[in-house]
Amino acid sequence: MSAKSTVVLPGDEIPASSLPKSPNKNRPLTLGPGLRHIPPNTIATTVAGALATDSRKNAAWIEYNSGRYLPITGDLVIATVQTSAAESFNCHITPNTPFATLPHLAFEGVTRKTRPQLTFNSLVYARILNAGKDTSPEITCANPSTGKSEGLGPLKGGMVFKISLGMARRLLAGRKGGVTVLDGLSEKVGFEVAIGRNGVLWVDGGSVKTTLAVGRAVQEVDEQALGEKGQKKVVERVLKNL
Amino acid sequence: MAPEAVLSHLHRADGSATYTYNGYSIIGAVNGPIEVQRRDEMPEEATVEVNVRPAVGVGSPKERHLETLLHRTLQSIILTRSIPRTLVQITLQVRSLPADDTSTGVNTSLTLLPHLLHTSILALLSASIPLSTTLTAIPVAIPSSSKSAPLVSPTANDLLRAKPLRSIHVFAFSGDRKLLLNESDGAFSYEEWDEAYEAAEEVCCREGGVRLGEGMDVDMDVDMDGEGKVANLEAWLREVVKEKVGREQRWRVAT
Amino acid sequence: MPREAEVSVNERAFIQQALQENIRLDGRAFDAFRPLELTFGDEYGVADVQLGKTRVIARISVDVTTPQPERKFDGIFQIITEFSPIASPAFEVGRPTDAEVILSRILEKAIRRSNALDTESLCIIAGLKCFALRADVHVIDHDGGLIDASCIAVMAALQHFRRPDVIVEGEKTTILSIREREPIPLSILHQPLCVTFSYYEDGEIFLVDANLAEEQVRQGEVIVTMNRHGEVCQIAKYGGATVEALALLNCTSIALEKVREMSKFIQGKLEEDAKKRDVGGLMAELSAENAR
Repeated sequence: MSAKSTVVLPGDEIPASSLPKSPNKNRPLTLGPGLRHIPPNTIATTVAGALATDSRKNAAWIEYNSGRYLPITGDLVIATVQTSAAESFNCHITPNTPFATLPHLAFEGVTRKTRPQLTFNSLVYARILNAGKDTSPEITCANPSTGKSEGLGPLKGGMVFKISLGMARRLLAGRKGGVTVLDGLSEKVGFEVAIGRNGVLWVDGGSVKTTLAVGRAVQEVDEQALGEKGQKKVVERVLKNL
Repeated sequence: MAPEAVLSHLHRADGSATYTYNGYSIIGAVNGPIEVQRRDEMPEEATVEVNVRPAVGVGSPKERHLETLLHRTLQSIILTRSIPRTLVQITLQVRSLPADDTSTGVNTSLTLLPHLLHTSILALLSASIPLSTTLTAIPVAIPSSSKSAPLVSPTANDLLRAKPLRSIHVFAFSGDRKLLLNESDGAFSYEEWDEAYEAAEEVCCREGGVRLGEGMDVDMDVDMDGEGKVANLEAWLREVVKEKVGREQRWRVAT
Repeated sequence: MPREAEVSVNERAFIQQALQENIRLDGRAFDAFRPLELTFGDEYGVADVQLGKTRVIARISVDVTTPQPERKFDGIFQIITEFSPIASPAFEVGRPTDAEVILSRILEKAIRRSNALDTESLCIIAGLKCFALRADVHVIDHDGGLIDASCIAVMAALQHFRRPDVIVEGEKTTILSIREREPIPLSILHQPLCVTFSYYEDGEIFLVDANLAEEQVRQGEVIVTMNRHGEVCQIAKYGGATVEALALLNCTSIALEKVREMSKFIQGKLEEDAKKRDVGGLMAELSAENAR
């Protein structure tokens, strides 16, 4: 995407010329966050941000990086267990929002007898199973079709760091996100991370020092919007101090 | 001078803005969508809560009145149906008022109202709450002497000098140039109201309505006229958002 | 009812582990304050304090009323604290949390009851008229350390404030606006400031100026209020676990050092602001003319 992006305000109508044109006529246009369809043919924005399009997927969405996280089906999140009900745990994806339910049996290899005991305020890495606006979100720690955890489950130890929603998206986007700091650090030190789209980064580096160094490095890259060179410098500095 | 705005500077609120203009300084914060209390819950809509806190003392009927006006206006632009059974909580803390605010002799809740509206729209944009449109608002004062033209967006000082005033009006327009709110105080004729309305519309909305793509990528023309006032509030709002997006997209161009 | 989001078990364990290894999350020393920032508004008596991510605005305003009948020679001074959802979604309008009650009680003890402000100087005519001063404390951003930040804000605002001058002729009083005559600074007797110590590990570890996460993990807190002359105005201890007397003594000596630093900082900022207002000594000249 070019540096010059189209800035939109809520209520702006997106002209057809700005929408992606898919070579495949059968592929319907997909509207992502920040856009809504007003029948018959109007596409209007609902948030302030930059218009982004993907002609291969025939999708358009608005990129923005402020505000509270809104649950979207398929997102990976780090949730906090609040209470345990008869069949499920009630979790918070972000504080002060309605509970998300996490069934007791939504973990890998769990039976009624061996269901996990999660206490108040413990963390789980989970995927959002469904998040319609009319129901409370449901999350799971196992792939419902295979029953495998695929890396999800309760998070033990480590520390969580708050990052911006945009940073979380970038970290999960792989190379496109342009975050190299974790790769750089992992060449010299070993650590585990889990990234939640709700703006939470969990790091376990084995020791307090390593964990803190990794977490803070990511936060620094986030806050100062560092590019590749800047991130390299951070990596060098962090490694020297370790 | 165009109003000054700082967005997303508070750490705990989901969205925040500080707005400074003509001696008014207001801090706004938006939390939402968050959990709503059972008694306020609406099955198909979000609940909007507006809180106005004066610089000095606790809220009085004046603040309650302003809250009602803001609530009605903001509820009409927030897409409440897309986030049902949640709460959008808007808190506006007045930080300072112009020094002459109380001595102008006009209804001070009316002169404050447009600034509260601007602060809340900025905070809502910062919180990325789904909106159907944006809004801009402006006060217009009509002096008693029939010769003088209506004062558009007067400062407290302007009001003092123009005394006595016949009437004061507040207009708020949506992004598509529709009138969202009008509050008037004093005695005025239809013609005077029309004149005030046109003057306000001129300052609030861009000529020819909003269209994406035209003049979007070129430099915004927040041009000032002779009296050093903003020529167009719509353009100002766009400029503020452009800055916000620019900051968010910084990482794309960073080296 | 909304509640403050608590730290997760992982964070709790991590913070405690880190403290045992002598590390604070933000890399500060155990007895270090977060960076302090203080700005004044265009008007007199508005102080905006930023302590790390915490931000508090104090605002002094004045009114004329009749003094309380049992205190005929005193003016009225009130400190009002009210939390709003600006600082945190957990704060509800009109329903004070425990933290809010503690904050207002400490400020009351620290500033009002320690006689930081000479209320007698606020009296205009004994038993008939006096100034009623009020300090509104607005918490704008909450990341712990509210008591310390609010105290700094109120004290700085009090020192920055100027009250209008009055002319008394018999029983008739005329309040002169700021334009008519140069307003008068308040008579401040001493400058109390608060230093909050959070303790962990049954009082083995003390932290100065804990942030919100550290506050949530602590076992208890000790709030020491003193002025730069080393006079202790109040000590309050909240939370369980015993704290040894010797440890408390140690707290007061650290507090004194911090209070001296902060007083100096506030003084510096006040002078800076005075210089800014008094461009080329023009104001002084004007005020002399007006007095004639």
